[in-house]
Amino acid sequence: MEEEEVTLRVDGITKSFGDFCAVDDLSFSVKAGRIFGFLGPNGAGKTTTIRMVVGINVPDSGTIELFGKRINGTTQDHIGYLPEERGLYKKTKIVDQLRYFAALKNVPQKEADKRIDRWLDRMELSEWKNKKTTDLSKGMQQKVQFISTVLHDPDLLILDEPFSGLDPVNVEFMIGVLSEFRQSNKTVIFSTHLMETAERLCHDILLISRGKKVVSGSLREVKESYGRNRIAVRIEGGSQLLSDFPGVESVVEKADERILSLRQDADPQELLRGLVAAGAKVTKFEYVEPTLNDIFIEQIGGAK
Amino acid sequence: MRKFLAVVKHEYKKVVLRWSFLIGTLLFPVLGAGFAVVPALIFSIKGEPTRIVIVDKEGKIGPRIRANLSPEKIAQKQAEALKDTSFEPTVGAKNPNDSLKGIAAGFVFVSFDANGKSDEQIRSELNAMAADKEIDAYLLVPQQLGGKFEFLSRKAGDFVANGMIQDAVNDAVRSERLTEANISETTLQQINKKADIETKAIDEHGREKSSDALLAASFVIGLMIYISLTIYGQVILGAVVEEKETRIAEILFSSAKPFELMLGKLVGVGLAGLTQLGIWVTSLALLVGFLMLQTDLAPLLAGAPHITPLMVVYFLLFFLLGYFLFASIFALIGSMVTTVQEGGQFAFPPIMLMLVGFYFSFAVIRDPSSPLSFWVSIAPFWAPITMPVRILAETPPFWQIALSISINAVAICGMVWLCARVYRVGMLMYGKRATLPEVWKWIREA
Repeated sequence: MEEEEVTLRVDGITKSFGDFCAVDDLSFSVKAGRIFGFLGPNGAGKTTTIRMVVGINVPDSGTIELFGKRINGTTQDHIGYLPEERGLYKKTKIVDQLRYFAALKNVPQKEADKRIDRWLDRMELSEWKNKKTTDLSKGMQQKVQFISTVLHDPDLLILDEPFSGLDPVNVEFMIGVLSEFRQSNKTVIFSTHLMETAERLCHDILLISRGKKVVSGSLREVKESYGRNRIAVRIEGGSQLLSDFPGVESVVEKADERILSLRQDADPQELLRGLVAAGAKVTKFEYVEPTLNDIFIEQIGGAK
Repeated sequence: MRKFLAVVKHEYKKVVLRWSFLIGTLLFPVLGAGFAVVPALIFSIKGEPTRIVIVDKEGKIGPRIRANLSPEKIAQKQAEALKDTSFEPTVGAKNPNDSLKGIAAGFVFVSFDANGKSDEQIRSELNAMAADKEIDAYLLVPQQLGGKFEFLSRKAGDFVANGMIQDAVNDAVRSERLTEANISETTLQQINKKADIETKAIDEHGREKSSDALLAASFVIGLMIYISLTIYGQVILGAVVEEKETRIAEILFSSAKPFELMLGKLVGVGLAGLTQLGIWVTSLALLVGFLMLQTDLAPLLAGAPHITPLMVVYFLLFFLLGYFLFASIFALIGSMVTTVQEGGQFAFPPIMLMLVGFYFSFAVIRDPSSPLSFWVSIAPFWAPITMPVRILAETPPFWQIALSISINAVAICGMVWLCARVYRVGMLMYGKRATLPEVWKWIREA
């Protein structure tokens, strides 16, 4: 495997609040030019981890390196962060808010004004430039918030549930914007509960639960590591054999097929032979990749 | 540093470019002008002179009244009235008629031949003249001194003219009676002369100061600082709660240090407050200048306290000290609570603290050099209100002012330090209001 440029390296970070350990010895790295899915159930420690990366909280132990440097005040200027809970000033003009957020990221005002116009135009919000937040719909506010996270042209974009509150057209639009980011070798960390979206967008994933890493790696690797023991079967007759076969852990009935999960040591070939021997008419017998959703439920459901 | 300045600029603009700021800033000078200048201007517009007929068959009192209503006599009366009111701090005098005499239009005496006519005849003829607008009023002098005067006027609402006629008649009757009793006018004036009492304070250097005006000015200074501190404290509270409520804090904290953000907010809003006070002080100076130029009104300012530029500097300095002390308390409260309404409830203790300081300023005005005045004017939280009052009432030795500034500056450092610790944690705690033990924990652990 070729050596890839690492944008973010998190090494053994731990963060506790009182007796509660929110993040427990977590390590991972995010490669440049990739979309990184940061997944986990509520309360898994995602937001706490992100807050440590963007410099809001300081880990109790462990190190965080951004572009090979320990995070500090100036690394903040290279990160665009869209928190899950977010807002805008209610009575301030959109353009003034954006200028302020840009100034806080050290963007000179002239440059900021150019970028604000460009982004508002792109988001079809130009006519709202001098309006106040209260005049905007929720979807428009979402877009303004997104603009505020990219005005300083960050190298790392951290988005926490970026699509909540957006209609499908705008979701597609935003996905297009994210793809562009990736193509210009910028990195996106993307945190969500929506496994379908994550599966569609992410190259790499990290699944955490209770502050600990559960699964990580490229989407392909992760899926492959779960794929070998899942088989989609469509048969006529011999269905009794499916549940009696010693290697079968579970059978999920779908509309016209069954998804079997086999134990790691079971041999699918043996199952196929057994089915044929039992006189079943096998019309489909194939390995299936698990969806991220399956992996999520299997890992987190099992842990609970 | 650039980020800090960005925060200052943002917060300053947010306050100053708001309608409420503009209205509040303008309202004070406009109201001030309204109370001081407008009445003076209006009354300086002299009306039409009153055309009057004085019917006096005996011919004794009539000439005296006429003399009393002559322009010279009226001017003399006016000067006396002004003298009586000159140590009143406000423009208004005790009896509005007294100070308004100067602006009456005067009288034109219309001659009328009453010889051989009956009272009824005189009346009907004069009434006809009034109806034809040949005259404005007439005065019937009774034949006996104890009789009833009758004054009839088309302009019965002109209380200034009516008051003057009343005075003129009273004076004329009194003079006539004195003449009958063989007492001369000059003797009477000496008898009637008011004892002149002028209250003055003596300052450290033995200079005299007029006390009434000083009292009022000290009170106004204390009130101005108290009100400004309350207003700008609430502005801070609102701004902090808004950022917490809308979750903007999280975005801000990912861009700049919480301490930069908090201090930038305090400084930005504080500069806005200073701008407002600056406008007020300037307009007050202009107002005083305007009044000085109006020669008619100059005597009113004779008793005004002497305010030096140094006092203005002290005034602004102590406003800033008080502002930073209380603003950091309000910022701390703002980061503890979850909504503006909740913040309003918690704003009560600091406002009470300010109010106590404001009440102490009365004690300071009464006796600026007492031990109580000394202690409250160096105590943190109260000094910013009481010290300017004390400086104006009776400037204490410099070491006391310096001590007061130092103590309060140290208190500000402490408060800002406390506030920064609570702010950093509190701004990201959503959902419920922090309890005091929790806040204490944040302070200890931060």
